[in-house]
Amino acid sequence: MKKRAIKKDFYVEIRKSLGRFLSIFFIVAMGVAFFSGIRASEPDMRYSGDAYFDRNHVMDLRVIGSLGLTEKDVEALEETEGVEDVEPGYSKDLLLNVEGNYKVLHVASILDSMNKYTVEEGRMPEKSGECLMDGDFLKAHGFKIGDKITLSSGTKDAVTDTLKSDTFEIVGSGSNSTYFTYARGSSTVGNGEVSGFLGVLPEDFKLEAYTECYVSVKDAKPLVAFTSQYDAKVEKVQKNIEKIAEEQGKRRADEIRDEARRKLSNAQEELEEGKKEAEEKLTEAKQQIDDGTRQIQEGKEQLEKANEDLKSGRNELYASQKKIDGAKREISNGWSQYNTAKKEFDVQESAFQEKYLAGMEEIRKGEEELTKAWESFHSQEAEYNKGVGELAQAKELLEKLLESLESGSLPLEQVAEIQAQADGLKAQIAEKEPVLQAAGQQIESARAVLNQKQQEADIQFSEARQQLEQGRATIESGQKQLEATRQKLISSEEQAKKGEEQIHVGWSKIHAGEKQKAESEALLVENEKKLAQAQEEYDQGKEEAEQEIYDGEEKIKEAQLEINKIENAQWYVQDRSVLPEYVGFGDNANRIRAIAKVFPILFFIVAALISLTTMTRMVEEQRTQIGTLKALGYGKLSIAGKYLNYAILATVGGSIFGVLFGEKFFPYIIVNAYKIMYTHVPDVVIPYNWEYGIVAAGTAILCTGFATFFACYKELASQPAVLMRPPAPKQGKRVFLEKIPFIWKHLSFIWKSTIRNLIRYKKRFFMTVFGIGGCMALMIVGFGLRDSIFAIGKLQYGELQLYDGMVILNTEAVEEDRQEPMEYLSGEKAVSDTMEGYLKRVKIVKGNEKQEAYLSVPSDLEKVKKFQVFRNRMSKQEFQLEQDSVILTEKVAKLLGVKKGDWITFDDQDEKKMKLQITDICENYMEHYLYVSPEIYREIYGEKIEPNTIYFKMKDFNEKKLKEIGENVLSKRGALNVTYTDNIQSQLDDMLESLDVVIVVLIISAGLLAFVVLYNLNNINITERKRELATIKVLGFYDKEVSAYVFRENILLTIIGVMVGAVLGSILHRFVIVTVEIDSVMFTRIIGNLSFLLSAAFTCLFSFLVNAVMYFKLKKIDMVESLKSIE
Amino acid sequence: MGSSGSGKTTLLNCIATMVKPTEGKILLNGEDVSAFKGEKLAQFRGKEIGYLFQDFELLDNLTVEENILLPIAIRGENQEQAERKCRELAEYLDMQDILDKFPSQISGGQKQRVAAARALISQPKILLADEPTGALDSRSAKKLLEKIKGVCEDFKTTVMMVTHDANAASYCSRILFIQDGVIFHELRRQIPEESQHDFYLRILEVTAALGGGSANVL
Repeated sequence: MKKRAIKKDFYVEIRKSLGRFLSIFFIVAMGVAFFSGIRASEPDMRYSGDAYFDRNHVMDLRVIGSLGLTEKDVEALEETEGVEDVEPGYSKDLLLNVEGNYKVLHVASILDSMNKYTVEEGRMPEKSGECLMDGDFLKAHGFKIGDKITLSSGTKDAVTDTLKSDTFEIVGSGSNSTYFTYARGSSTVGNGEVSGFLGVLPEDFKLEAYTECYVSVKDAKPLVAFTSQYDAKVEKVQKNIEKIAEEQGKRRADEIRDEARRKLSNAQEELEEGKKEAEEKLTEAKQQIDDGTRQIQEGKEQLEKANEDLKSGRNELYASQKKIDGAKREISNGWSQYNTAKKEFDVQESAFQEKYLAGMEEIRKGEEELTKAWESFHSQEAEYNKGVGELAQAKELLEKLLESLESGSLPLEQVAEIQAQADGLKAQIAEKEPVLQAAGQQIESARAVLNQKQQEADIQFSEARQQLEQGRATIESGQKQLEATRQKLISSEEQAKKGEEQIHVGWSKIHAGEKQKAESEALLVENEKKLAQAQEEYDQGKEEAEQEIYDGEEKIKEAQLEINKIENAQWYVQDRSVLPEYVGFGDNANRIRAIAKVFPILFFIVAALISLTTMTRMVEEQRTQIGTLKALGYGKLSIAGKYLNYAILATVGGSIFGVLFGEKFFPYIIVNAYKIMYTHVPDVVIPYNWEYGIVAAGTAILCTGFATFFACYKELASQPAVLMRPPAPKQGKRVFLEKIPFIWKHLSFIWKSTIRNLIRYKKRFFMTVFGIGGCMALMIVGFGLRDSIFAIGKLQYGELQLYDGMVILNTEAVEEDRQEPMEYLSGEKAVSDTMEGYLKRVKIVKGNEKQEAYLSVPSDLEKVKKFQVFRNRMSKQEFQLEQDSVILTEKVAKLLGVKKGDWITFDDQDEKKMKLQITDICENYMEHYLYVSPEIYREIYGEKIEPNTIYFKMKDFNEKKLKEIGENVLSKRGALNVTYTDNIQSQLDDMLESLDVVIVVLIISAGLLAFVVLYNLNNINITERKRELATIKVLGFYDKEVSAYVFRENILLTIIGVMVGAVLGSILHRFVIVTVEIDSVMFTRIIGNLSFLLSAAFTCLFSFLVNAVMYFKLKKIDMVESLKSIE
Repeated sequence: MGSSGSGKTTLLNCIATMVKPTEGKILLNGEDVSAFKGEKLAQFRGKEIGYLFQDFELLDNLTVEENILLPIAIRGENQEQAERKCRELAEYLDMQDILDKFPSQISGGQKQRVAAARALISQPKILLADEPTGALDSRSAKKLLEKIKGVCEDFKTTVMMVTHDANAASYCSRILFIQDGVIFHELRRQIPEESQHDFYLRILEVTAALGGGSANVL
């Protein structure tokens, strides 16, 4: 019966006070959810990461050989214990020109079994010349599928030394499982920063050896990445591989040495051949030169002879000339003789001619007279003959006429006439015939005279003629003589002329000969010149050949030395930590753990405390009932059982709900939040991590259980009669402030009441302060975390290390090359200052503690002031790097436990060990440094520093220009790498981005916490003080004043909470920072004023919100009900 | 006066505006008090009426003086004047020596006197008292009632008291009897002819008649 009544009462109680039950339920649920959820986020992040690694078969180990890896190495790796699978591959960092900027692409061969790609667009490469491009890079730089890209090497080696072709077609874009974020790692080429990757087929590489081998470890897959089990498993295999590394390295080196020797001997042979060939050629050349010399000699001789011939020819010609000249003179004499003879002759001739002519004239005259005589004779004779003729004629006519008349045939008329005629004619004839006879006789006498005369004249004439003809003949013979002489002279002259002509011809021949000679001479000179040249060439050629041979021999010698110098191949066995952001992923998980260690606990404590107060309050409220039950004879246990059950039911319910919800919700949010950063890790694996759930639920149950038990116990100890009466009201007490009348007097008694109230309800006071303080602290940690990380870059590179960029020099390069970057930087206008320094990674040992740090030695103690500020973080007091200074940075000093004045052992891992006394410890945030002066360096190494680093500052900071300078520097052979400080800043920004999510989670949680705490406590407060509030309402307080009466307390509590929270937050922040920060970085311990302000503002806002809700609750207080309660 | 549950406290509470009447009006100086809202309501509570609770309802964390000053202090009235008034009242109510004490340090009678002082300090026109002597021994009750009577006569304050106690009631000049929410009888003391004692006896008669459960009325 009893039990049933109790049970009924229990259920009725729950139904009646469902609000309270639910409030415990939800508070516990929230606390447990938060606690187990955030705790579970850390393993869940690992699970998610692990799921991704497993799904994509991300390698466990990577082996890189300094001399490449061969099939034999692969075999050896496969046989190594613990190795499941080995796949060799190639990779090379190459440059791609993207609108003038050279971006570094990590070109790698696509593996069959590991490090899977995820194609986002297009497809995987299927044949040579195709590539899969980094999806992020493709998008960022506007490439398209089907584009062709041409790679360059950025060094003096051609791309085609490594790859078959430097041009690839993009056939797809996607992500590679070894890149989780946007980070692509660093490179030794280009600007030193890999911008993307390129997956190509292995056959596109034409290297003789693989560049790396990927190894998956047996049984590592089921283990969760980032856990010690996984790490241990992999490390064991790593050790196993390292064991065979030496042997394989030696074998590989031998292979290369053999190959090199073979090549060397080939080279030697070639050289020998070359030498022979050169000698042959030289000999031939020599022969030719000798021939040439002889030919020239011959030519010279010929020329000499020709010269002599010419000379004799000339002499002959001269002699001939003389002869001709003599002949000419004779001819000339001949001519003058002839001319005088001619003159004489001409005189004789003319005299004769005259005589001749006169004689002839006489003859002619005589002959003329004769002729005349003859003529007159002939004319007479002619007349005579005519007369005769006419007579004859007339006789004949007469006869005829007579005949005619005789014949009588004539007509009678005519016969008369004719007879008349014939009678006239007979008269005429008779007259004339006597005259003619006389004339005939005269003529015959004249003829005789004339004949006579003729005869005489003829004799005379012929004599004269003869005489003349004789003279004529003499003259003519003289003439003939002269003519002959002349003829003779002319012919002599002609002869002389002919002789001269011959001489002339002789001369022209000689001139031609001379010309020829001159030409020959010129030719000879030329040939001689040529010969000399040939000789020179020969000499030079010979020298060159000798030099070349010498060089070749030298080279061979050198190569020999080189071969001897080839060290055994070094193997680098790397685990996943070399993957960009892999460690970061683990670190982030650890960060979550660090946060999970603090905040949820805080939250949990508050939740537990609130459920505790709620339960205590419940028990207190029901003291009358407890008293009644006790009076009715119920046992303590059954009475307490009700409350215990009530509390446990609420808590267990809340816990189960909290675990179920929290372990899914919070990890989901957090893992997803990190996906903003880990863009290519899509996996979200959030199993239930029961251990956290059980811990959280167990603690919650224990807390509320004990709290309830003790509350009950206290009540149950009292007498029922006491219990039935209301609890004696708490006494009003004077508070310590009243002892200070100076302050107290000036307070209105409303304030006095408020202050007394605060102190009176101590539990509420502390709970509220703790709740609000917790909220404030959470937010301070959230914002402060941001400040701490955000400030690092600003402090490190804005206040401590004042350079914009750092160039790592290639110490292997030749002196000139090493000078080049410095020369360039000093010449660059945008660079304001440069400093050389020495930087080396060394070990610092103190006792058993060992840490790695950079040994940094500036070349100039004066200049270092411009590049590095040494100061104490707390006091901000600056100090200088002096000649005897040894300055260690703060974080490493802390890690090692080193203080100013302590001795440390410096170990540069090259057998240089030295004890140094730390003279100062300086503020520093990124990496660890041991700063010493060049003098101390000399003490350690016994030599001057050889700078291997250049720091430079820009006049006006300009990111683009800085990158440009970096690229220019990297193009110099002496520069290995360039680091920009703003780059590190942006890395920090990325880190902050992921933290922002955490901060938002923190602020929301803090808000929830504040809300829950304030609401609950206010609720309790108002319930507890209903009477009081009703009273003052009756006394005529305005609603505002009534609220103010309560809120004044809340405001005070909030202010106190905020102050406490500020302190608590600072402490928590310090704790979280120390937990979260990685060894190589020191976060600042600074929380910005703005963070305090923001946190306080948010806290006040939450408080205000709660009070706003409360205001309406206060307004609704039923005065009659409240004042009636005890009757 | 009336028996338990007769509605007398409810009536008082209605007048004190702690409860709103479901029907009808309460007129005070011609104003409907039940219609007051917000500031006017608070003003009315603070200035027009004073309320005396059976359980005193002093604020535990304020001293006696502070408790008395509470209603006017909040109005920001002249501090000195208020204090003078307080001292006056304290003298009147014979409690000068306890002004610095906390409620938990004084007796019930003193507490109720303090409550009375608090109710009267703003010189209300009407003092509502809900069984002010209910938690007091007879001596304290007597003293309290006498003091209240005196003060109210001085201040010209009407006292409206709910009580079971005929003795307490005998201090009044007019008594209304309520039963089941209805006024069914009224007594008036003939002043000055009728002595308090006679009036007391008259009251007892009426109460006896009521207590007898009889519906008979005198």
